[in-house]
Amino acid sequence: MKRAVPVLLLSAAGLVPVWMFQPGAEEAINEVAAPPASTPPAATSTAPIVPGQTQTQAQTPAQTQAQNAARVIKGKLIKTSEGDVQLQVTFQGNKISDIAVVTAPNTAPTRKALPLLKASALKAQSAQIDTVSGATATSGGYQQSLQSAIDQAQ
Amino acid sequence: MRRVEHIMGLPISVDLRDGDAELAEKAFEWLREADARFSPFKPDSEVSRLDRGELTSQELTPDLVEVLDLCAWYEQATGGAFKVRLPGRGLDPCAVVKGWAVERAGDVLLAGGARNFCLNAGGDVFASGEPEPGKPWRVGVRHPEEADKLCVVLAVRDGSVATSAFYERGQHIIDGRTGAPATGLLSLTVCAPDLTTADSTATAAFAMGAEGVEWAAAQENCEVFAVLEDRRVIQTAGLPVHLC
Repeated sequence: MKRAVPVLLLSAAGLVPVWMFQPGAEEAINEVAAPPASTPPAATSTAPIVPGQTQTQAQTPAQTQAQNAARVIKGKLIKTSEGDVQLQVTFQGNKISDIAVVTAPNTAPTRKALPLLKASALKAQSAQIDTVSGATATSGGYQQSLQSAIDQAQ
Repeated sequence: MRRVEHIMGLPISVDLRDGDAELAEKAFEWLREADARFSPFKPDSEVSRLDRGELTSQELTPDLVEVLDLCAWYEQATGGAFKVRLPGRGLDPCAVVKGWAVERAGDVLLAGGARNFCLNAGGDVFASGEPEPGKPWRVGVRHPEEADKLCVVLAVRDGSVATSAFYERGQHIIDGRTGAPATGLLSLTVCAPDLTTADSTATAAFAMGAEGVEWAAAQENCEVFAVLEDRRVIQTAGLPVHLC
């Protein structure tokens, strides 16, 4: 992430929205990251990477004046030591109403900060497996289940 | 060696690649003990006695305190969608106890020197090491609508997988905020380093409904595979999908 800083070329005019941008941006990201205050299941919480640099970068083109119309601005692709980052920011006037991740590295801290979700269609498949995960609450269900077949096959 | 036993109302199987029957028995012994102590269906369990007011908070065992703390945390984290005590019902920490107890059973096997094994408690999987050198445990996730099919296969080494779903008649998870069965999801699978986290997160997220997908994805070290009611699949980018 640090390497992203020199890449940023902010004009003086660009800095104004940067200041206005920061608090809102962090808020928006934290909402998604929501690190548990106390995580009983052990897990010492690592500070989520909040890509501040990328955010400032993303809104660099937002130098145009505040208007009430929503504007969607895609940030530049930033190369970091962790991988590429690109955000898309929606402005309502001078305020950020939404931040979406276009590209982010697939490292654990980044994923925590920005859960990347992929959508697809449900498919049914058969495959060689060792065990089955599923909600088998009753033994009746179990008897018909794949796990039962696996257990009996041995 | 393999063994299956019904405990906590669930078929629990162990596939032990480098341990003996004696060690497996130790793990099952612990699971029977956990059932006796934490089942809300057994009148003399700690949970039932606490629920009847026969135990004070000072008299609880550290294990039960740990379980109740976990329940309280998930209740708070889900805004009440997950509740250890639903309105009009007794204390029921089952959703947390299952994963927690099975993970502890896995610890028993590890402490006994086993390295490569897979525990499966009613679809909650604790996988350690590898089934054979160089290969991950292939954990199939049951298709929510076709019992004999899978919707994804995960490759797991030293990890856990748990699924909450609505596919058997009469089986449901209650949204603690409304008291009605949770809606929005057909199934939600969580892959995490430990089974306590995987199981509790899957159950809590399922209770939240569709919004639970993003919530689960934001939990520490959790990868998610969710099937929505409209049969769309949402998964996290880091899900360890096994390409068959």
